[in-house]
Amino acid sequence: MIHFYHVTKRFDAYSTALHDVTFHIEKGEFVFLTGASGAGKSTLLKLILRQMQPTEGQVVVNGRNLKSMRRSQLPFFRREIGMVFQDFKLIERMTVFENLSFILTVLGLPAREHKKRAYAALRAVSLHHKLNSYPLQLSGGEQQRIAIARALINDPLVIVADEPTGNLDPDLTQEIVQIFAEANLRGSTVLIATHDRELIEQSGRRVITLDHGRITDEKVAVPQRAARAESIFGIGG
Amino acid sequence: MPLHDESLPKNTLAYFFREATRRMWVSKRTSFVAVAMIAISLFIVGAFLLVAENLGRAVARAGGTSRVNIYLNTDATPQQIAAVDAWLTAHHDFAARQFVSKEVALARFRQYFANLSGVVGQLDENPFPASFECEVTPGLAQSAAFARQAAELRGLNGVEEVQFDWEWVEKLKKLINLVNLAGLVAGGLLAVAAAFTIANVIRLTMLLYREEIDIMRLVGATERMIRGPFLIEGILQGFIGAVLAVTLLFAAFFSGRHFLAPQNSLLWGFLFNGFLPWQKLLALLAGGMLAGYLGSWLSVRESGEEKA
Repeated sequence: MIHFYHVTKRFDAYSTALHDVTFHIEKGEFVFLTGASGAGKSTLLKLILRQMQPTEGQVVVNGRNLKSMRRSQLPFFRREIGMVFQDFKLIERMTVFENLSFILTVLGLPAREHKKRAYAALRAVSLHHKLNSYPLQLSGGEQQRIAIARALINDPLVIVADEPTGNLDPDLTQEIVQIFAEANLRGSTVLIATHDRELIEQSGRRVITLDHGRITDEKVAVPQRAARAESIFGIGG
Repeated sequence: MPLHDESLPKNTLAYFFREATRRMWVSKRTSFVAVAMIAISLFIVGAFLLVAENLGRAVARAGGTSRVNIYLNTDATPQQIAAVDAWLTAHHDFAARQFVSKEVALARFRQYFANLSGVVGQLDENPFPASFECEVTPGLAQSAAFARQAAELRGLNGVEEVQFDWEWVEKLKKLINLVNLAGLVAGGLLAVAAAFTIANVIRLTMLLYREEIDIMRLVGATERMIRGPFLIEGILQGFIGAVLAVTLLFAAFFSGRHFLAPQNSLLWGFLFNGFLPWQKLLALLAGGMLAGYLGSWLSVRESGEEKA
């Protein structure tokens, strides 16, 4: 589903974000991407969404080589990906409902569907009572969950999340990861970039580790506390 | 999901209008500047069109027949007048005629130029000459044979001048063309300026919404979806400006007719005869919308697409 072939991303002669990165994520996988700040995680996610192009190498997502993709195809490609941004990227002047409804307008769903779908997506992140609030009236954690609801509203083929639990307390973290796991169970391929080592270790999922733009480790995490992991990931695969 | 479907989703037009009106409301002041520019431009175009339209109506009224005015000397004797009358009777082309005495000519002047009647009253004697007004067939009146007869008429005793109204009709037609051209040039230049104003207003709005536009692109909105509200905003500004211009023109016309036309002068009678026909009003509205569209199109085109 997501394939990187010898991908290098250089911003200038002195700044290389990714060095010869090759990895493959198959359809239906749930993978964590980790590494210290500046390791290249965000750059890698931007390449998946084709916010930028690699300097060298090829990125193939859902069978599409992003280097040869025409600009006019880009919006339709992006609709297949549910992206959770680190800075949420919610439209501040729109209410929570409008932020979600906009995606459905883009997808061409009839207006009568919007409220139903938005409510269901918000209910999944326990924020259905915030339908008419504006993003700036919400806490960081709540905005994070709205961004997740927006990414999932469309049942995307691929879910890519950049630090989706960064602003959440442990209980909410469990809840959110559970939501991703359920989406994974419904068929979405999930890639989550996170610093949260405890979350990764308890997941029992495949982990790709980046360091200074290179993949330094690729393994399946071994749950340290199997019982807790099961409570979070018991239904995923 | 196919990656080539460029068609816009349903509800899109409603979304475009909702967004466009909301953005205009948020940027009320800059939108007002754009609307005012369009309104001023189209008001000027409309005023020229209105003048040309009314002059055109005057020409059209005169177009059915052609008139020859035979002005007599102010001191023409009754015998000379009778001789001219006999000459006209003998020539069939001039047979349909009416004698206008000096007194009738003075009365007409007082009626047409009411505000100048006092000046005439101060004169010792009536300065207006008596005349014959002959209705002639337009085609015949412009023939070479007719010109020869007119020359003969000029040579009669007591005849001061022979004037053909198709001469001033021709002059009036040229004036109408000039007024139309002046209106189009002045209005066109102002409309271009208005389109650039709208372009700048839309550019400012796009800068204001830059972050939002980036988010829209990231969640899969097409360029059409992103640009649509800005284009509609420009068209709406143009439309509102045009409606404002037509309203002002309408108000100016009926105020003018109410306050100036009662003086019953010939000039005002000409200029305030009737308002613009609906076709020209529609053209003004369409012009405003087109200027708005071009302005917004310029700015969204310049704003470019995503760099990736």
